[in-house]
Amino acid sequence: MTPLLEVDGVSRSFGSVPALVNASLTVERNSITALIGPNGSGKTTLFNVITGNLRADTGRVRFDGHDVTTARPAALYRRGLSRTYQQARVFSQLTVEENLVVAGGFGLAQLFGRRVNRRDRQRATELIDEFRLGRVADLPAAELSYGQRKLLEFAAVLMSSPTLILLDEPTAGVNPVLIETMEHHIRRLHAAGITFLIVEHDMNVVMRLCDPVVVLDQGREIFTGPPDAVREHPAVLDAYLGA
Amino acid sequence: MVQGVILGVLTAGVYALMASGQTLIFGIMRVVNMAQGAMVILGAYLSYQLFTSFGVDPFLAIPATTAVMFTVGVAVQLIFLRPLHQDDRTQLSVLVTFAVALLLEGVMSVLWSTSDRSINTGYVNASWTVLGYQISLVRLWAFLLSLVALGLLHVLLRRTRFGRAVRASVQNPESARLLGVDADRIAAIGFGLGAATAAAAGSVYGLLYPFNSGSHYDLISQLLSIVVLGGLGSIGGAVVGSLVISVSTAVVASAFSPIWAPMTFFVVLLSVLLIRPRGLFGTAARGAL
Amino acid sequence: MRMRRGVGPVRAAVFFLVLAVAPTFGLAHWLLTMLVFTLMFAVMASAWNLLGGFTGYPSLGHVAFFGIGAYAVVLWFQHHDISSGYEPFLLLPAIGLGVALVGLPIAAIAMRTRADVFAIVTITLLFVGQTLAFNLRDITGGAQGASIVPAPFPADSYEIPFYDALVVLLAVSMGLTWATMRSKVGLSLAAVRMDEDKAAGIGVRVQTVKLLAFCVSVGLTAMIGGIWAYYEGFIYPQFAFDPLISVAMVLMTFLGGRATLWGPVLGAFILELAQQYFAYSLGGSRFYLIAYALVFLVVILVMPRGILPSVRDRLWRRGRRRIVDAQLPAGDGPL
Repeated sequence: MTPLLEVDGVSRSFGSVPALVNASLTVERNSITALIGPNGSGKTTLFNVITGNLRADTGRVRFDGHDVTTARPAALYRRGLSRTYQQARVFSQLTVEENLVVAGGFGLAQLFGRRVNRRDRQRATELIDEFRLGRVADLPAAELSYGQRKLLEFAAVLMSSPTLILLDEPTAGVNPVLIETMEHHIRRLHAAGITFLIVEHDMNVVMRLCDPVVVLDQGREIFTGPPDAVREHPAVLDAYLGA
Repeated sequence: MVQGVILGVLTAGVYALMASGQTLIFGIMRVVNMAQGAMVILGAYLSYQLFTSFGVDPFLAIPATTAVMFTVGVAVQLIFLRPLHQDDRTQLSVLVTFAVALLLEGVMSVLWSTSDRSINTGYVNASWTVLGYQISLVRLWAFLLSLVALGLLHVLLRRTRFGRAVRASVQNPESARLLGVDADRIAAIGFGLGAATAAAAGSVYGLLYPFNSGSHYDLISQLLSIVVLGGLGSIGGAVVGSLVISVSTAVVASAFSPIWAPMTFFVVLLSVLLIRPRGLFGTAARGAL
Repeated sequence: MRMRRGVGPVRAAVFFLVLAVAPTFGLAHWLLTMLVFTLMFAVMASAWNLLGGFTGYPSLGHVAFFGIGAYAVVLWFQHHDISSGYEPFLLLPAIGLGVALVGLPIAAIAMRTRADVFAIVTITLLFVGQTLAFNLRDITGGAQGASIVPAPFPADSYEIPFYDALVVLLAVSMGLTWATMRSKVGLSLAAVRMDEDKAAGIGVRVQTVKLLAFCVSVGLTAMIGGIWAYYEGFIYPQFAFDPLISVAMVLMTFLGGRATLWGPVLGAFILELAQQYFAYSLGGSRFYLIAYALVFLVVILVMPRGILPSVRDRLWRRGRRRIVDAQLPAGDGPL
């Protein structure tokens, strides 16, 4: 069986600054793959290339056996690839429920149907329960805390039953209780068959949650392996300690 | 045809100067200045007034008009643009500068009425004939002056501390702030500079064309097309954009009919956007000056 | 919102009932004329709101479509007879549809980029329209203007057919706005306005809804242009493509409240009546332009969200303290 996601020799520069240099990465089906690396190593750029937000200069991206190198974010979303953003991008003037509904299905019939139809409402209500957002369900997202917004953005990508979710720093800037909540949801969804690719700074979270771990440095992939091997690997130590 | 190209290139100089101010303002603040055309016309009126009341030659009036317009520009930034809420700044700033354009139009029509004015110096109709083609002297001088002004702007942005600060905040506002660049000050001075280039261009514009308080609509739509064509925020792009637009307009006007000339730049604009939505030299999100 | 269901339709019914019966009270001509113009602007602001208010793409060139609609009526009736006087009104839907189709390719290109580039393309379009109207003399009569056969309505009730047609169009445009807000189209447009890239990334049909909003918006605007031309009887390029009409649509929408049902209509009633007053008291159009610009600046700087959202926000905050779970979204609930 082919891997769910294959990134093959992708390069991308901004002007004369290379952000990715011949980077490769494989995400096996039903894994929780971590993508780590020092600041500026190209993690977010790689995310953007995978999701179609940025075009690769060279190299290929395959998702679920299809070449999606030049696919747009919307097309990838329909194929089952969703992402969250580091800054938790939610629609601040829409309510929590609407934020979920807007990520639901978009057949033309639905588009001209009710703002919140029965099927969407049902799915949204389930997610609101699972993510314990019930108390704020009717509030505009602007009124939520940063952590709640992260949860909301995570919940919203589940409206479309994705097969692969890319999380960009899901635990950055949130309190320890919420970190546990995040981990809980990732494990739960992983058990239900969803694959994850996660950019994460908190090594404790990575150690507990992910396997394998991919390390990126200066736009190159320098290591792929199980979490306990990462800490001992000389190239990784070099990259982080700047030796 | 060749005559059309010559005319187009000479005109392009003046447009490049006006558009460089526009693109500078956009580069620094992400603000599309709808009042740039009105500022050019105000510059033209100022030098018209200096010429008719005191006999000052429009070319010599430029230091004075630029100084006045610099102040106007700084004032517009401080009073109208700085208080805007961050959320929908793009939309609001377009509307605010449009309102400023109307305000200037209103003020100008009160001060100078709405009839056409032109600056008639002794040399407006003088021309050289080179290889059988006519080259209007005023247009040549205007062209050279624009080149000088663009050169000065270039030196200012490349060689001075202020220029470095501007370029830093265009490329990365966050780190520029961390490096101690005062964004408000840069924005105010940047808007002032944009207005000052409008004044310089205005003096020249007044020599080349008759104008009235409503002329800025005509001007702003051409300026904006140039800037979009070149890629918002790129001064080099503004120069190329002016060349493309004024040469194609002049050629269409001389080869077919002046009626279709204004249509030309709209079609050029749409086709460029169709192929390159960010303009010829525009970069993804943040440009470089 | 859920608790106050039923208030909206009642409000709308009362409003349109008052509008419908108003002329039967034998209003003076000047008052009816004023109402005709106010209604024109109410429809246009409402139409502008569908695009500019809901999607956040600020069109500064809507009057280009107004002008096209106006010349369409004039041109058609240079070659066709008017007998009952109602023919131009019957032509309006065709004009709206035609202009919407003409607008489609322009919108498809202009909306590929960003809101600021869109504003630029639309203002350029306005200029091109104006120049063509001046220069294509064979068709438009150029600066000399073009005329249309006067409407054969009796003098003492001349305004009534125009008035009625405008009330119908206002009902149509508000009905469309209401339908938008209640459907997923409205939700999608709100998402586009707040974060278009994110919206595209979660499968929102960004392009479809943007183009739809644009076409409906310019179609309605063109229909008003047609009514205006017929009402005036004689049109000039500088009035058919007057940038101030574009400005008025924007300003009215901002004043009343973007992305609300009643905001643009409220804005139109306030501003158009104020405008008539200014025109009387300040005389010529020159000081009037300054006054207009100042109102514009003050509205945007002092109340950038407009009257209705600001008022609703205040009510909401008060209500929230009293009833914990009667929360209204501050965003787009129909008001």
